[in-house]
Amino acid sequence: MNELLVTTLLIVSLFLILGSGVWIGLTLSGVAWIGMQLFSARPAGDAMALTIWGSASSWTLTALPLFIWMGEILFRTRLSQDMFKGLAPWMQWLPGRLLHTNVMGCAIFAAVSGSSAATCATIGKMSLPELARRGYPDDMAIGSLAGAGTLGLLIPPSIIMIVYGVTADVSIAELFIAGVIPGILLALLFSGYIVLWALRHPGSVPPRDAVMSFGQKLHASRSLIPVVLLITAVLGSIYTGIATATEAAAIGVVGSLILSALQGSLSWRTFKESLLGGTRLYCMIALILAGAAFLTLSMGYIGLPRHLAEWIGSLGLSKAQLIVALTIFYAILGCFLDGISMVVLTMGVIMPTVQKAGIDPLWFGIFIVLVVEMAQITPPVGFNLFVLQGMTRREISWIARVTLPFFFIMVLAVALVYAFPQLVTWLPAHMKG
Amino acid sequence: MRRLLDTLYDGCAALAALAMVALLASVLLSVAGRQLGFNIPGIDSYAGFLLAASGFLSLAHTLKRGEHIRVTLLLNSLSPGPKRALELWTLLAGALLAGLFAFYSAKLAWQSHEFNDVSTGTDATPLWIPQLSMAVGAAVLLIALIDELVLELRGQRVVPTSDEAMHNE
Repeated sequence: MNELLVTTLLIVSLFLILGSGVWIGLTLSGVAWIGMQLFSARPAGDAMALTIWGSASSWTLTALPLFIWMGEILFRTRLSQDMFKGLAPWMQWLPGRLLHTNVMGCAIFAAVSGSSAATCATIGKMSLPELARRGYPDDMAIGSLAGAGTLGLLIPPSIIMIVYGVTADVSIAELFIAGVIPGILLALLFSGYIVLWALRHPGSVPPRDAVMSFGQKLHASRSLIPVVLLITAVLGSIYTGIATATEAAAIGVVGSLILSALQGSLSWRTFKESLLGGTRLYCMIALILAGAAFLTLSMGYIGLPRHLAEWIGSLGLSKAQLIVALTIFYAILGCFLDGISMVVLTMGVIMPTVQKAGIDPLWFGIFIVLVVEMAQITPPVGFNLFVLQGMTRREISWIARVTLPFFFIMVLAVALVYAFPQLVTWLPAHMKG
Repeated sequence: MRRLLDTLYDGCAALAALAMVALLASVLLSVAGRQLGFNIPGIDSYAGFLLAASGFLSLAHTLKRGEHIRVTLLLNSLSPGPKRALELWTLLAGALLAGLFAFYSAKLAWQSHEFNDVSTGTDATPLWIPQLSMAVGAAVLLIALIDELVLELRGQRVVPTSDEAMHNE
């Protein structure tokens, strides 16, 4: 009982310190420190330094900064400017027309960048003004952008998947490949909803732009095609087993440098900016990972993961009930924590429970990413909502309301992935190497 | 003093960026090695060391740019007086934790040096050399946090709000 009391105390202090605004990575190591002092005879400081060193210098993590850097390079090319222009001619014939550029643009950019707020901001910067100019309704334009922006997490390379893979000890390459089908499925569901909406409100969709010939269309998307080829090469090399995730990332960096040089957007200034931007973004995540590694060690001494697994096991929940409970738990956590912190904070504690319940860690990774995506577009802390608020100067409650249909589509996607786990596991099972 | 501190943060960040480039080079080298049939002993451990250096040496620079994330829900809803008090607390707590981290990282590097610890790979690198990056990075982070604390006390602190911070999600 005493143990339970102290555990509660630790969790309460964790959320108090986090809530007060202390940097997340430092908070995690601070709480871990208190836990070590209370529960173990091992000197906390030495254990901290050794654990953090071990996690920060691990080879599996090297894919993370390289993929981040690749995204930063491509982010500074003409890609984001040309995305709308390049996609628009191909979308005219679909009901809902150019609204689909949001979904397609986000899906392509997601494969370049591992982040959903960056995806949302980059695509929206070009597509929102263009859609407004042509008279598309604001609520659909902004809602579909907010929803589709979250694809950044699911379609590889995804930062959060690397973080999950490292903390839960699941193959990053398999996670990436596992995310492909659910990512495409989600994009199709978003597009399907736009089609349905357009068929029900035919008066709200503006007329189509001037018809272009096939050659003109190709010309308009000339800067997209090399990027799509690069993405295919990176993912293809992982799928066929030619390269590990880290090696594919390194090839991706070189490829994106060559692309940006060919487009003429590579200069010493953009190179330096992308390198430093990537270094800072990696550093931010590394600090959280360092704190989380120490916290996981400390929690192990307390025995929290084991107790939790035993307690949940004793409840006799079915697998479905456990998944629903975890979805609600993450939705609440997502109200005030970002996705990466959520994953690293909970993995060390929840993984034994998940494994004991017979849930495949690979499938669980995709599930977590989907749930974190949902948290991105739910108030009060949905990063995509903040991004859109900054871009459109609208009330956050209004943005959340127009995004709601897309939120329900994601709930549907989670249900589908639960009902048909093959959506996740089929493709990785057929990987070579 | 201001110039000196800023040079320290940016200099460390430049080293971190250099480590990132070297990390890329080492991964490419190991790919090339496999294709062309040569082998560089311990290249994977070097990649790990460079990864660590890249992360640790940029800690202070990233802090100064306001890109380390934290929960600002409460901070942003407070009026200036209580907000300042809470900011001081976060900086104090942060400095304390960074201090602990710096001290024990330095101790770890020192012990590796004393006991001649080498890495487990075929390279047998003396571990204190790469571990130094952690000790230095943590120490510079401590300096940066104290720097911010002093600025806050003097009422001169500018908390940067950067668009880049949005990249992380």
